[in-house]
Amino acid sequence: LITALFAAMAAGGCGKQRPEATPLNDFTAPFVFGRFQVPTNNPLTVEAVELGRRLFYDPRLSANGKVSCSTCHIQRLAFTDGRTTSVGVSGKPLAFNSMSLANLLWGPQRFFWNGRAATLEEQALVPLQHADEMAQDMERLVAQLAADGEYRKLFETAYGEVSPSAITRALAAFERTLISSNSRYDQFLRGEITLDEQEELGRKLFMAHPDVKVSLRGANCIDCHSQFLTGGSSAGYDGFSNNGLDDEEHLQPGLQAVTGKPTHRGLFKVPTLRNIALTAPYMHDGRFKTLEEVLEHYDSGVKNSSTLAAVIVEADNQAAAAGHISLHLTAEEKAAIIAFLNTLTDQEFVTAERFSDPFAHK
Amino acid sequence: MMPGRPVSAAAAPETAARRNVEETQALVLLRGLPTLNTKHSIAIVELNPEAKNFGTILQEFELPDLTHPPHHLYYSPNGRLYSTCLDPKSSLFEVSLSRNASGAAMIKGVKRLDTGGQQVGEDIIWHNVEGKEYMIVTFMGGTGLDQPDCGSVGVFDPQSNKLIKLIQARKSVVGDGKPFIMYPHGLSAYEDRLVVTSTVHPDLKTGVGNAITVIDLNTFEPIQNIVVEDAKPVNFPSSPVEVLFVRPTIVPGVAPAVLVNAMFGFETWKIPYNEKDKSFGAPVKVHDGVKAGTGVPLEFYGNQTELFVSHAVPGIVKRYKLSGLPELVPAGPDIKTGLGAHHMIFFSTASGRKVVAVQNNLLNLGNAADKDPTEVPFIAKVNDNSVTVHDLQSGEQLAKVSFKERYKKGVENIEALFGSGFVHHH
Repeated sequence: LITALFAAMAAGGCGKQRPEATPLNDFTAPFVFGRFQVPTNNPLTVEAVELGRRLFYDPRLSANGKVSCSTCHIQRLAFTDGRTTSVGVSGKPLAFNSMSLANLLWGPQRFFWNGRAATLEEQALVPLQHADEMAQDMERLVAQLAADGEYRKLFETAYGEVSPSAITRALAAFERTLISSNSRYDQFLRGEITLDEQEELGRKLFMAHPDVKVSLRGANCIDCHSQFLTGGSSAGYDGFSNNGLDDEEHLQPGLQAVTGKPTHRGLFKVPTLRNIALTAPYMHDGRFKTLEEVLEHYDSGVKNSSTLAAVIVEADNQAAAAGHISLHLTAEEKAAIIAFLNTLTDQEFVTAERFSDPFAHK
Repeated sequence: MMPGRPVSAAAAPETAARRNVEETQALVLLRGLPTLNTKHSIAIVELNPEAKNFGTILQEFELPDLTHPPHHLYYSPNGRLYSTCLDPKSSLFEVSLSRNASGAAMIKGVKRLDTGGQQVGEDIIWHNVEGKEYMIVTFMGGTGLDQPDCGSVGVFDPQSNKLIKLIQARKSVVGDGKPFIMYPHGLSAYEDRLVVTSTVHPDLKTGVGNAITVIDLNTFEPIQNIVVEDAKPVNFPSSPVEVLFVRPTIVPGVAPAVLVNAMFGFETWKIPYNEKDKSFGAPVKVHDGVKAGTGVPLEFYGNQTELFVSHAVPGIVKRYKLSGLPELVPAGPDIKTGLGAHHMIFFSTASGRKVVAVQNNLLNLGNAADKDPTEVPFIAKVNDNSVTVHDLQSGEQLAKVSFKERYKKGVENIEALFGSGFVHHH
């Protein structure tokens, strides 16, 4: 009865006019990151973003009242959790490493390491209901939130109702405002600073596909990480790749789990590299603890398989030896690339109050 | 899909909803016309010929304190937007762009740059010499319009925008027979050689050039002038305006050469370049406008397969095979645009049709019929004040917007807003 009553109130059943949501007028985003689209049924408003922020940090979203989104997405770690793979209400290690949440406005049409969600709203629903993550019953959650006056007011203004759809839309709205755009590299792009010699060498290597014929040395990073400043590639399944972590026998399903296509076996989402120095451990299963280990993998640890990215196979700073995949980077070059990757850290993003736990400030 | 390739949706046709509709939007520099009581501005304009709002200004940023308008827009390799300007108070500035909560692009403001007193900013290139990147800008008015042989080239740090070197070599100062820089407008570079044109005094009456200047980028000193002049169909010096250093990064394996459009000579010239001894050969006329019935050749633009050259008279864009450069091998029939055919941008419409939008204005000076004090009779006749959009394959005109009729402004320059446009411009 109480649920029905609150649902009726939220739907305007008491004859009250729904308050109008406030447009996010002071919102600005960098032009150079490119065009983005906000779903027409989920415009960015002050109330939606505030609601989403509260929900993001509220452990009531989990069945045991102890796990919130922020459990696995910690701001100071660029919204990752520092674990090999995340742990939710069940206490069992989950299948994947926590993905950073930054600049999700741009690009992704497929979320999660294996692309199993098509929208940010859809993505938000998955962990809420997953038995090992938050294990929440959505009807129960709606009732709980509708019983909270502050939440009810925000929901009413932002979405006109407390509902599973409104919950996921609010979470998505907050996540869309998680914009990171003030790393040293951003400042470099804006002309505010210059990179030092090592960082500049790293930048050049990062951007170059090696070409022995013209003595061009490169680390081949940009071939897959073309959208490294934002949330990923913007066209369907674009931006999923097999980066040689496993050989044929041990290839994990990856994107194939979603599409069913054998050519998608072993392909995982190419993540943002923004704040990469803060988001260890690395890869979809968190197998590498440091950026040095990641560089070693790309330099000499790539394993061949039928779906291995051709751009990785082809990349070599020495005349390629048949059957051997290696970038042949020097120690100095690897250190330079890591120095460049460190310029992608945005301290303002990981400390900004507007992205922080609203309950901690009360 | 090829096994082993990163998954790409390129093979699947993009729906209109998913397509980057911003490709059809242009940044347009608009000139206020004094008798029509309008102000200079930078605008974002919808140029999708299939859209109901074709020709609509989506956002406009007025520059009310400028007497003379902004002139040309350029994106740097790092995606920073710059504009040269005809106003002595602000000959070069950086334009700040951002996005609002709906993702729409917004012009936020402009930051004036210190040019060291150089005036009448024209063209910009970014060029790397010996591992060092430069932003190089031509200033047709040099350090003073009172100088009958004015003109200079500014070399800037592309990060800080600080002026590193002001290259000036006025004819009256360097002496007879010495290489000079005068009224520089177009510029293009290959390795350590920069070429700039000698066009016309900014007051359009004191003097007209007929040569290009070669500048050694190791020393930033002018080392040679090369005259490109023959027919003089309007009894003026040839007035070289835009120049393109054809080089291997544009056409793999090409023998480098310089192409020059001579505005009042109605000609396009080719100057061979010998990479080994860094010498330039004798100019050869590769397009004769008097014979072809074309006049006032202006811009060079390119895409992956073709080079496009705009001719203000009779208002056409000629197209050539990129692979045929430095010779001008026709790639198809002319695109008939409007009087003053000038700058252009390339993009795909929401339905995927490939188009070119052409700004049809030689210069946006006023019309005598409006009793406009900026009237210059010859130039006012070569202005259609429009942007026309054409099917890139057939040349068919799909849409036209007259900025003078609709907004009481002239159109000074167009540039693609984001993610589309030219491959090699200048």
